[in-house]
Amino acid sequence: MSTMTRKLVPLILLLAFPAILRAQELKLPPGVEKLASKAKETVEVNMDGPMLHWASKFLSAEDPEERKAAKLVANLKGIYVRSYEFSDEGAYSAADVEEVRAQFRSPGWSRVVGVRSERDGDNVDIFFKLENEKMAGIVIISAEAKELTFVNIVGPLEVDQLADLGGEFGIPKLKTRPQSSKPMAKADKGEQK
Amino acid sequence: MTEINKNPNLLEDALRNALRREDAPEGFALRVLARALPQASAAQEAQRASWLSIFSQPLLRWSAVAAVTICLVIGGIYYRNLQRQRAEGEAAKQQLMLALRIAGSKLQLAKEKVNEINTSRPEPQPQNRSPRSRS
Repeated sequence: MSTMTRKLVPLILLLAFPAILRAQELKLPPGVEKLASKAKETVEVNMDGPMLHWASKFLSAEDPEERKAAKLVANLKGIYVRSYEFSDEGAYSAADVEEVRAQFRSPGWSRVVGVRSERDGDNVDIFFKLENEKMAGIVIISAEAKELTFVNIVGPLEVDQLADLGGEFGIPKLKTRPQSSKPMAKADKGEQK
Repeated sequence: MTEINKNPNLLEDALRNALRREDAPEGFALRVLARALPQASAAQEAQRASWLSIFSQPLLRWSAVAAVTICLVIGGIYYRNLQRQRAEGEAAKQQLMLALRIAGSKLQLAKEKVNEINTSRPEPQPQNRSPRSRS
């Protein structure tokens, strides 16, 4: 290996490192990024590892909800959320959402839940990233009639922690509707990519 | 020989008479205090004056003023930074909790949809039929 190459390799690695880090992040198409101007309400949360750890220092150990949150984020490397709420239906394009979904139809990702509801138009996809048979991240894409939400949690997440995520933080556990109302929905559970 | 030498009891009587308990004259305590107080305050005043005499020199006086001002400014900046950091930390915490709430609610939505579909599906027909029913 020449001296020049030996000098260039660390430089290339140094330049490529942020790109490697970003590789796990959710890339939103420009069409989705522009939705903020149309939305009635927009939530954008970008918290990387150091920010998460810093924020978790302010979580109270006395508050049970915050104590659970601190436990949950202890090993996480990032939380990224984009949520847009619109006044009217059809504010976003299905193609844009499909473009985001397509990012996770790649090796290492598994779509564990995919719900398509023709009745109310609520579509939810949950993708897990597995590394050495352990969960290394989760992506939730929820496309509702008047709401579009992308959640990307990077880092190891235990199943019980995941259950906590679904049933805590002041959000009451949702109850299923009575059996009489027949939904026009189809769900793919455990589809492995 | 004196009278006392002749009679030792007279000496004892004289001593007893000289050492007998006698009440202080009226106003004695007040007079003692009135004299002692100005002396004590004068001593304190002298001590204070010796401390303050350090600041009689303009250089020292202004140095002390500057030191106090610097301490106050540094203390103020430190306190303000601490307050700002705390406010930023609280805001970050709120952001984190909001992100978790949104993630939790979407997970719940997916759960609800899956449960909805599972409960609406018709019960599967039993597979192990008896040989008689098959014929």
